[in-house]
Amino acid sequence: MDETGAYESIPYRMKLSQGSTYDSFESLFRENWESVNRLLRRMIIDPAEAEDLALETFYRLYKNHVLVREGFNTRGWLYKVATNLALQSIRSFKRRQHYELHAGKYALEETPETEPAELFAKNEEQRLAGMALAQMNPHRAELLVLRHSGLTYKDIAQALELSPTSIGPLLLRAEREFEKCYRALAKEEET
Amino acid sequence: MNEHLNEGQLRASLDGELDSDGLTHLETCQHCQMRQAALRTQVEQVASKLSFLSSPIDTSSLSKSSATSSAWHRFNQQKLIQKETSMFRKLFASPLIRYAVSIVLILTVILAIPGTRALAGELLNLFRVQRVAVVPVDFTGMQQLNGAVGQDISQLISNSITMKNEPGDPVNVATTDEASQLAGFNVRAPQDITPSRISVMSGASFAFTIDRAKAQALLDEAGRGDLVLPEEVDGADVSVNIPSSVSIAFGTCPEPSNEGEVEREMERETTTSGSPGRVYKDCIILAQIPSPEVSAPASLDIAKLAQIGLEFTGMTAEEAAEFTSTVDWTSTLVVPIPKNAASYEQVPVDGVMGTLIERPSDDAPQFALFWVKDGIIYTIGGLGSNAQKALEIANSLP
Repeated sequence: MDETGAYESIPYRMKLSQGSTYDSFESLFRENWESVNRLLRRMIIDPAEAEDLALETFYRLYKNHVLVREGFNTRGWLYKVATNLALQSIRSFKRRQHYELHAGKYALEETPETEPAELFAKNEEQRLAGMALAQMNPHRAELLVLRHSGLTYKDIAQALELSPTSIGPLLLRAEREFEKCYRALAKEEET
Repeated sequence: MNEHLNEGQLRASLDGELDSDGLTHLETCQHCQMRQAALRTQVEQVASKLSFLSSPIDTSSLSKSSATSSAWHRFNQQKLIQKETSMFRKLFASPLIRYAVSIVLILTVILAIPGTRALAGELLNLFRVQRVAVVPVDFTGMQQLNGAVGQDISQLISNSITMKNEPGDPVNVATTDEASQLAGFNVRAPQDITPSRISVMSGASFAFTIDRAKAQALLDEAGRGDLVLPEEVDGADVSVNIPSSVSIAFGTCPEPSNEGEVEREMERETTTSGSPGRVYKDCIILAQIPSPEVSAPASLDIAKLAQIGLEFTGMTAEEAAEFTSTVDWTSTLVVPIPKNAASYEQVPVDGVMGTLIERPSDDAPQFALFWVKDGIIYTIGGLGSNAQKALEIANSLP
């Protein structure tokens, strides 16, 4: 039996926080693809790059299927890996160059012609936010992305293997670091 | 709860994540309410900057189901290719590769020169390469080589081999004339392109004796007890002589591989997002080597051994037998390629027929062109998608 068959025959008894149960990798993929792809589309401006990273995220889960067990937080795990891949991508020097060069391009391509200035400004904020996240302590950046993508404290705690009561203080620390990095980058660009 | 809430609790309260005790306190504590309001301003500023993380994305061009189905299809393609490529690379990066040339030669790279069969009193066959054939192999069927069985096989091979002449490190030279002198054969290079590097790798020779009992035990251990090695392989003495080779690089290329380099390259590839296909996209390497020579007992049934080898990779007995019957094992270099991750075609090149193997990939396209002419095996390979350029170089050789 090939690996695919072996994997897909594993009875999925893991529960998501929302109570879903998977009985095959395909059903897991289909239920989570859109949200993971959407998260990456928000972080990575190039849609093709975002989709590649989303596929890589699922491939990593596929390769590490031994980790999948009762109570495994699939969505949290996927979000965590996707976030790390996106941050790595932004951090990479070449990626950052690409990010900077193409931020405006993709934004304008996807925007009604009547609002290019507004969109450019919004996109500029997004670019700076992405760079600030990439500059931060990776664990804090990860926490911020997971929270601001809509994950609950319980989901985040499971994904990052933290206590749910520690999320509030850690989040606050992460937000302060983010603000500091963001302001420094904005100031740097002004000068 | 009489104590005031700490900042972490106040932060959690803004997300509706405060526990019931905390909430009860907050409802009645004006001091904490004021601190919460101050914190809210700070948190909202950050939330505003990160609002893109929860903003809607325009996916109207595709319906949800078709986008997901398309992604699932792409995932399966990528999964298959990555798995195969990974197995292919692992196989050829393992300690096995130290003797890969010999393994390939023994099992698949075989040629008998007509008229020279009766060497050493009709006891030995002498083999040389005259042509190239490709066999698509499902390398995912060789995962047993990852574990203890792979190590045992490597160990058995190591123990069975006696190196007579070990290959040295590649030596860079300035001209093809110098390369010809050092390598001992006439090195060909295109006249109108300046190489970025010419290097010569000295030859090697070794001999080994097959221990059938141990080899069969390993097949059994790998769960392939159905593959039975012929009795006559036991104690067969095989010697291999690999001549010096020359590689000529064009464009920006990695340094010539030596031991450990492949594994480091694999590690680099898996830990970074910059693939070799991007880093060395203009790299083309022309390599040439006179045919290696293998001498083996005339009683050794190479086709039978090749069939066993193919079945070991996961081919059915029928598929292996069919392929084996189409190949002249006495004169053909058989190149295994990943079944789903690469394609190949026969192409006219340098006045003979060659084989062009391509690995199509958005991220790391690769190609290799093989042909044999006048007793020399030529390959042109690259990590980009310059197969056409490779054909031009091959056809411009003097």
